[in-house]
Amino acid sequence: MGDLLRKYWKRYFRQLGLALVGLFLVVGCYVPRTAGPTTGPVPANADLAEDISAKPTVCAEAYDSTKDYFPDKVTTEYATGFSVDYHNHYKVVTVSDPWRGADRTFQYVLVQCGTPVPTGFVNAQIVEVPVKSVVALSTTQLPHLVILDRLETLVGVSQFETVNTPEVREKIERGEIQALSSGAALDVERLLLADPDLVMTFGTGDADSDSHERLIAAGLPVALVSEYREQTPLGRAEWLKFVALFFNQERRSQQYFSEMVTAYESMKKLTADPSARPTVFSGFSYEGTWYMPGGNSYAAQLLADAGADYLWADIESNGSRPMDFEAVFERSQAADFWVNMSQDWQRKEDAIAADPRYGKLAALQNNKAYNNNAKLNQTGGNDYWESGLANPDVILADLIKIFHPERLPDHDLVYYQPLKP
Amino acid sequence: MINNSSSQAPKKTYPQADSSPRRKAAIEAATEPLFGLRLSGISGIIGLIVLLLIVFLASLALGSVSIPLSEVIAALLGRETTHAAWREIVVDFRLPRALTAMVAGAALANSGLQLQALFRNPLAGPSILGINAGASLGAALVVLSGGAIGSSAITSGRLSSWLAQLSLVGAASMGAAIAMLLVILVARQVRSSLALLIFGLMFGYTTTALVTILLHFSQIDQTLAYLSWTFGSFSGVTWQQLPVLLVVTILGLGLSFLFAKLLDVLLLGEEQAIGLGLSLNRVRCCLIVSASVLAGSVTAFCGPIAFLGVAVPHLTRTLLRTLSHRILIPATTLLGAILALVADAIAQLPGSQTLLPLNAVTALLGAPVLIWLMLKRYQLF
Repeated sequence: MGDLLRKYWKRYFRQLGLALVGLFLVVGCYVPRTAGPTTGPVPANADLAEDISAKPTVCAEAYDSTKDYFPDKVTTEYATGFSVDYHNHYKVVTVSDPWRGADRTFQYVLVQCGTPVPTGFVNAQIVEVPVKSVVALSTTQLPHLVILDRLETLVGVSQFETVNTPEVREKIERGEIQALSSGAALDVERLLLADPDLVMTFGTGDADSDSHERLIAAGLPVALVSEYREQTPLGRAEWLKFVALFFNQERRSQQYFSEMVTAYESMKKLTADPSARPTVFSGFSYEGTWYMPGGNSYAAQLLADAGADYLWADIESNGSRPMDFEAVFERSQAADFWVNMSQDWQRKEDAIAADPRYGKLAALQNNKAYNNNAKLNQTGGNDYWESGLANPDVILADLIKIFHPERLPDHDLVYYQPLKP
Repeated sequence: MINNSSSQAPKKTYPQADSSPRRKAAIEAATEPLFGLRLSGISGIIGLIVLLLIVFLASLALGSVSIPLSEVIAALLGRETTHAAWREIVVDFRLPRALTAMVAGAALANSGLQLQALFRNPLAGPSILGINAGASLGAALVVLSGGAIGSSAITSGRLSSWLAQLSLVGAASMGAAIAMLLVILVARQVRSSLALLIFGLMFGYTTTALVTILLHFSQIDQTLAYLSWTFGSFSGVTWQQLPVLLVVTILGLGLSFLFAKLLDVLLLGEEQAIGLGLSLNRVRCCLIVSASVLAGSVTAFCGPIAFLGVAVPHLTRTLLRTLSHRILIPATTLLGAILALVADAIAQLPGSQTLLPLNAVTALLGAPVLIWLMLKRYQLF
């Protein structure tokens, strides 16, 4: 399927292919289409700002080779796609799984500003930290900048329409950042003109659509934020720490993430031994083809952690697989719940209008169909794929509220809403 | 003299008024029997009808979900099945899909046959007139502006969801119709079939360019929805839509049966046709209307299905070893329906729960067959 798809792109629209790969990985590097209503989900640790002195380390004035310039260090527990080695005045960061089937890794040497560049790193990108200006080409990176309190460094995004994060929208309204893509294509010239200290993007492995090689060749430091390759919600969220490395914001990222993990794990315990695990299925049909998340995918993991019995957990894939509608119908017809359908659906009749056969699904008939589109902006951007990726505890809370409402009586749905009758 | 020879060059494989040995040989080659199988007109058609029935039943019995044949028949007869879902699968999924495949294959093949006769060009097919391109532009306009429709649905509910429901098929039909009108307008002004072909091609390029621009500025969801549409599928058509498709295509097919004689005369060449008292312009318009109604309605409902329209007429000519359209029209219709059902059954990958894009299957199966026929025709092996 992936290969065929790729063939079609090449023929019709290479650039968009990039985005499509993401969608097929289902979770992926989906650039969320952000939406207007700007009340972001309240992160589990909203009081963080008080806890931590936010000022990043400034440039070293006199270099001292014996001094540890990075007293705060990150360790990763869930993310497997990056690692960091600390040295006194520099840190070596490796991205080991930049895209599916990648045969190379990316190495970054982050050198404390004001200290000498270490020698011997031939193939690595040298980046002076903390970076003072950054371009974020995926909206999934925007919540990180907010959490790390480094939003003032943001000078550009891919396109404004896709931005959900309220703080970034305010910056857009104040004219403080620019949109660097025209349509689906990155405008490399304008990006070069903006000359940021760091460009954060992601790779798909398709040399035609990926821009990082061109940017690196042009002398820009390019960080591949490959959180979409992680198969677990916490693994994805942990890429906050990767972004933090470039800002010397390790302490802040450690604290935010560990509080989030605590929240996530304690909620997961609520459903560890549920009296009954309701059955659930996910997705919808495009012209008779139903892209069903695999059993090892991000979506499946969330459903399992929320104490549901995902009916398609036997698909051995961490992406999604095209299924025949009739196969989905047979197994899912009597299922208790249905989640994550077309973003355009607000009401039951939207689904039935798209295909009357949906009307025979018990979950829809019983008003147990929940869509993850409660936070859409005017251009259809979905915050589920933006702040949701950084706050999987909130998504989990939503799902528990849906499957086991009695266990989280006080939670109000954030990203999810039922299809209205 | 020069004119004469150049205008005859592309007609090699078709009968002309004269009967030089070379031409006869070409006709022989074009109608070389397949697998040594020589079917005369009527028996061939009867054979195809039987085959169609078998394939139709097989396609109801095959699918991602394994359902015993007896249960399929029980479901069709309205009896209870072992599992309630089986009945719904047969009645709500497989039956409309098989019916859609049947009429779509028939319509596309027929449309291709008419256009090949009209242009006396074996490469002609439903996509040649820009009708597919027009339908694609209509579909792209709807699908790719879906975000706007979706968000307005939040505010104005019923009307826009009704719009969203009709829009894909409706807009694709509109696009096909507009393309068709343009082609007819041009056909009325331009005498040369070649010029008309070029116009169709250029129109296709233009609309493709517009679609590309739309895609460039659209969001991933919509791109995927559009892409899925271009893959082609018979599974998206539901009972609610099927009557429209059936009525339109059956009308178009009926119309085409009336054209058998016209097509035979056309094959003699335009001058001979005029000599026989044919109003070329009127014939051309009739054929374009009939061919594009057939192709346009199928494309609107099922996406641009590749290949059947070009390949099936060739296959039929070879199989039945005739150039008479009184035989070819019904035979092409039947063979188109059969091959569409077969391609769809293969795309379902029976027994597995996953599936292949229909267009990949039609081309992967069709292209080698066509190449083989060509090689055989020109006696290259």
